[in-house]
Amino acid sequence: MGFSFYSVIEAALLCINAVAILNEQRLLSRFGESGNQYTTGYADEFHQTGGAKQQLLTLIRSVRTVMRVPLIAFNIVTILFLVLFG
Amino acid sequence: MSSRGPMRLGKNYPHPPSQQQQPQQQQQPPSQFYQPTAPYPAANNYAGDFGMPQPQIPPSYGGDFNVPQPPPAPSHNAFFSPQTAFYAPPSQQQIPSNQAMPGMEYLSSNPLFNVGLNVVEQGMKDFTGKTVNMLPNEMKKSISSIKYYFAVDQAYVFKKLCLLLFPFRPRNWSLGYSADEPVPPRVDTNAPDYYIPLMSAITYVLVAGLVLGTQDRFTPEQLGMHASSVMVWNVIEICVLCFTFYIFNVQSKLRTLDLIAYCGYKYVGMIAALSSYLLTHSLFVYRCSLLYVSLSLSYFLVKCLRLQILPDTGGSQPYGSNGNKRRIYLLLLVVILQPFFIWYLTRHLIVD
Repeated sequence: MGFSFYSVIEAALLCINAVAILNEQRLLSRFGESGNQYTTGYADEFHQTGGAKQQLLTLIRSVRTVMRVPLIAFNIVTILFLVLFG
Repeated sequence: MSSRGPMRLGKNYPHPPSQQQQPQQQQQPPSQFYQPTAPYPAANNYAGDFGMPQPQIPPSYGGDFNVPQPPPAPSHNAFFSPQTAFYAPPSQQQIPSNQAMPGMEYLSSNPLFNVGLNVVEQGMKDFTGKTVNMLPNEMKKSISSIKYYFAVDQAYVFKKLCLLLFPFRPRNWSLGYSADEPVPPRVDTNAPDYYIPLMSAITYVLVAGLVLGTQDRFTPEQLGMHASSVMVWNVIEICVLCFTFYIFNVQSKLRTLDLIAYCGYKYVGMIAALSSYLLTHSLFVYRCSLLYVSLSLSYFLVKCLRLQILPDTGGSQPYGSNGNKRRIYLLLLVVILQPFFIWYLTRHLIVD
């Protein structure tokens, strides 16, 4: 309880920052993926586990690509707000 | 119970013979409004077979009721297009028990709203030399699709509330469709809406303030805090559920807007549990009502969402094969989150 809307924004910003600073090489080696994921990674929905991992990796990669530049702006604004207004 | 997919209920609406008397009230040529026969034809089918599908009549839904505008362009021959589903047909307003919610119509059916928009557009054009569309097309589309969820009337609200608190009667849970679009909630009791979740969320904030007041813990900031925490928890829940839907790659008929509506029905249960605590001030009664509300809400959600999340195989394949297991888990996740939230959002108000 005691949530304000600002804390949601802060939490979202921190999560997206965490996604943005992931190291792709270590992540991929940890998940055991290789470079041919676009050909063999096609799993229809009947496949039990492959689809979820693929979706997650696609999501992470797309978030990193899209949010790279706006994230810089958001971080600068948030840092300024926190420095000035506490 | 046979869980079929969306039933294409073709409704044979008799065109009333008194079509010619209506244009005297409007400035438009007589258009075929939806005239329900009482009782609703769908209400007679209870959890049984539907027999042969009735022929569907696609009448063309004419212009808007109050606003002198050209008829909406998309889905001209749809029975209920999103823009026109909102307005109650004129014959229904003579029946006092079926009046549409008075507050909701003023914003959208006010002709001055459109006039104001046009004036602002004209002003912007004179000022900048180019026309800027004040409401882009996507916003107009989303506004009209949200209007669908507010097309309710009192009979629907009453039936839905009774259903939320006692869903255990055998009945038909499938949604009605007409011309490939879901029928607005005014017609079909099973359709999700936004009116009940919105109003019950606001009522929950007020009831929470009341409970705090009886315990001498009330300050006006508590109301704002409860309201913001309601919104925040809703946002978190919807985000988690949408994320899970995306990760599991589940293609279902359930739209995000529908999911928001279904997740908002728990506030009714919260209000019921809190009011029972208010009346009796006993922890035992509160826990019993919490249990009952959780059970009935879970049953209600399972019955509603089963037809939308799980694929309609018609019973030809056993459950648990193919991708069904993931969908079942997803359904269970949705259903288990609700009682958890009910308990979590009310427990700080209970003091013994």
